[in-house]
Amino acid sequence: MAQLLLRNFTRAGNAALLTKGTSSSSITATSAEPGSCQLHTTPACCEIRKLARLRVVDNSDLGKRAMAEGRPPRCIHVYNKRGVGLIGDKVLVAIKGQMKKGILVGLKQKQRIKQPQFDSNNLVLIDDNGSPLGTRIHVPIPTVLRTILKEKTLAKGADYTKVLAIASRYV
Amino acid sequence: MNINVRILTKSVAQQYAFKRIVTFSTKPTQQAAAAAVPQQQEVTGPTVRKPIVPAHYRFVYPEFLPDPKVEWRNAVREKLERLDMIDRRRQIELPEFYVGSILAVTSSDPHAAGKTSRFVGICIHRERCGLRARFILRNVIDHQGIEVVYELYDPTIQKVEVLRLEKRLDDSLFYLRDALPEFSTFDENMEAEPLEEGAPVPINDIKVVLRPRPWLERWERQNLLGVANIEQYIKDKHRKSAEKVQKPWEKYDLMKQYRATIPEEEQKEIFAEVHTELHTLELQRKRNKRKRTFVKPKHLA
Amino acid sequence: MNQADVSKLMSQLRIAVRPTKRNLKNPDGPEGRLLKLRKTVTALVKHERIELYYNRADEARGYAELLISNAIRHGDRHKATMELADYWLLEKQLVHKLFKVLVPRYENSNVSYTRMFKAPRDYPGMYYRKSVLELRGNPYPVLTPDNSQNRNLLHNVLLDEARKEFRREKLANLANKLAAETENATASTTATPAQAPVTETQTEQSKQAEEAPKA
Repeated sequence: MAQLLLRNFTRAGNAALLTKGTSSSSITATSAEPGSCQLHTTPACCEIRKLARLRVVDNSDLGKRAMAEGRPPRCIHVYNKRGVGLIGDKVLVAIKGQMKKGILVGLKQKQRIKQPQFDSNNLVLIDDNGSPLGTRIHVPIPTVLRTILKEKTLAKGADYTKVLAIASRYV
Repeated sequence: MNINVRILTKSVAQQYAFKRIVTFSTKPTQQAAAAAVPQQQEVTGPTVRKPIVPAHYRFVYPEFLPDPKVEWRNAVREKLERLDMIDRRRQIELPEFYVGSILAVTSSDPHAAGKTSRFVGICIHRERCGLRARFILRNVIDHQGIEVVYELYDPTIQKVEVLRLEKRLDDSLFYLRDALPEFSTFDENMEAEPLEEGAPVPINDIKVVLRPRPWLERWERQNLLGVANIEQYIKDKHRKSAEKVQKPWEKYDLMKQYRATIPEEEQKEIFAEVHTELHTLELQRKRNKRKRTFVKPKHLA
Repeated sequence: MNQADVSKLMSQLRIAVRPTKRNLKNPDGPEGRLLKLRKTVTALVKHERIELYYNRADEARGYAELLISNAIRHGDRHKATMELADYWLLEKQLVHKLFKVLVPRYENSNVSYTRMFKAPRDYPGMYYRKSVLELRGNPYPVLTPDNSQNRNLLHNVLLDEARKEFRREKLANLANKLAAETENATASTTATPAQAPVTETQTEQSKQAEEAPKA
């Protein structure tokens, strides 16, 4: 199993996460550059589904540590009816043995015209009330998020617009 | 009556004088057939005078040429689209650009703060034709690669500026996604670099450096000219499989090329239709530019 | 494919082109297909008229047309065209024929360079359709029936009628003449001055009558 997995590597964007069972000495050798070349089993699928790996782009302590260790969070649930996360959707992630919620702020998937498509699947961690764990997002986020998150705030009751407040730049 | 018949007989006899008349035979006669062949080679009447279209128009305005796929052709739709494209070009300046040029696109965006958003990036791909023509811009902002697809004739686009007009060695630059980020990083506040009038479009022969595998595509199979270090990362098995999928005969496959192109006569027809309009628009743009440069005060001392 | 390829420029073909290619089933794939077509194109340029299966002929026809049109367009000094000719003509002396015989032959032509006819197929035998493919202006006798000789064609019907009318008229003239002569014999002394113009017109008519069938 480990050898089979080893054939498929990936790039940083859809960054890899290894469960402890499959990791071995040979795998650590392949991930010499942390965060740039790691294991990946579904390279062609850019959709955010369950078990998709994400990249935390805020400066929350938890997220920073997870990314630095080369063990980015995995999506374990998408809070919409389709099961595929689109921009602005809330997801549940497994990060460093904890379950946290997050908002997708940038996707690798094909986007609509004039909407940016990112090289990685970006995530901002939030708590249950919708307020972000970090204090700054260090990559640009799409402007559509403004409208989407405002609408969701009205519909759901939780205040997601705080994510917009910590954004450093829009694109 | 007699006279009439006589005249008719005479004239008919003269008309068919060169032929031996075998009235009731359907066998081919050699003389008749020999006479028939050169008749077909007659030159048609005086040629209609048309405006001379510059040869480079097909590179500058590729979207005016329709899709060569026969099933999708429709002369009326194509014509209407061309009219609409010209109408759009009267409203907004859509400059000449190529894959590899650096563009800045300002478009209205209801979500943005100032209701407009500007994106600077390198054009990595151009596709589709007619009103659907579109291009992809790529840039790396804050160490994050971003790509945006724009439609050329999108009415929400407010301005398209060419910051640096140049070509690259390849027809599409998707390999920039797998290259080191500095090769697709461009400053957002970049000044436009004007090209001398009449000068040919320069070809930037920069070779990008790829990062190690895994890649998004098998670049080693695509005979890319603009990549420096592809050999560094591939093994013998990749080399072998790349060799296996090469199609060296395709450059001789004339019909395949014919089916992928619009024939020259058709291109002439299309560009003759739009040439005068495009030319006047070009002249007008040049005049405006000169005016603008004249007004601009020089920063002295 | 959703944008025309602008890197190449080709002349329009004067034949009907199918939207898709035929694969011409071949174990070697597209390369083998092209080899098949190369053989056909070489044979066409060599013999100027060949008989073969319809599908293969129809495929090869486009290639032959484009080869000739490229040769006319670029001439023999163009390296890429020379390479093309070298690839498509398996017998190398035919490259000379292409540039020195076929190009001058078709330079001012505004119809297709080749013709294709449906040919009858053997029965019993292979059920594939057959055809004849030929270069225009070849030295062989033409294959098409000459319909100008069909008696039901309008101009032939008219011509026949005219001929019949002419004969009738001639007979009537002869009869008149004979009658006049008999009259003359009876009253020779009175009618001698009026005879001369009549004979003149009669001789003219008889001359015409002789000329027409000869021609």
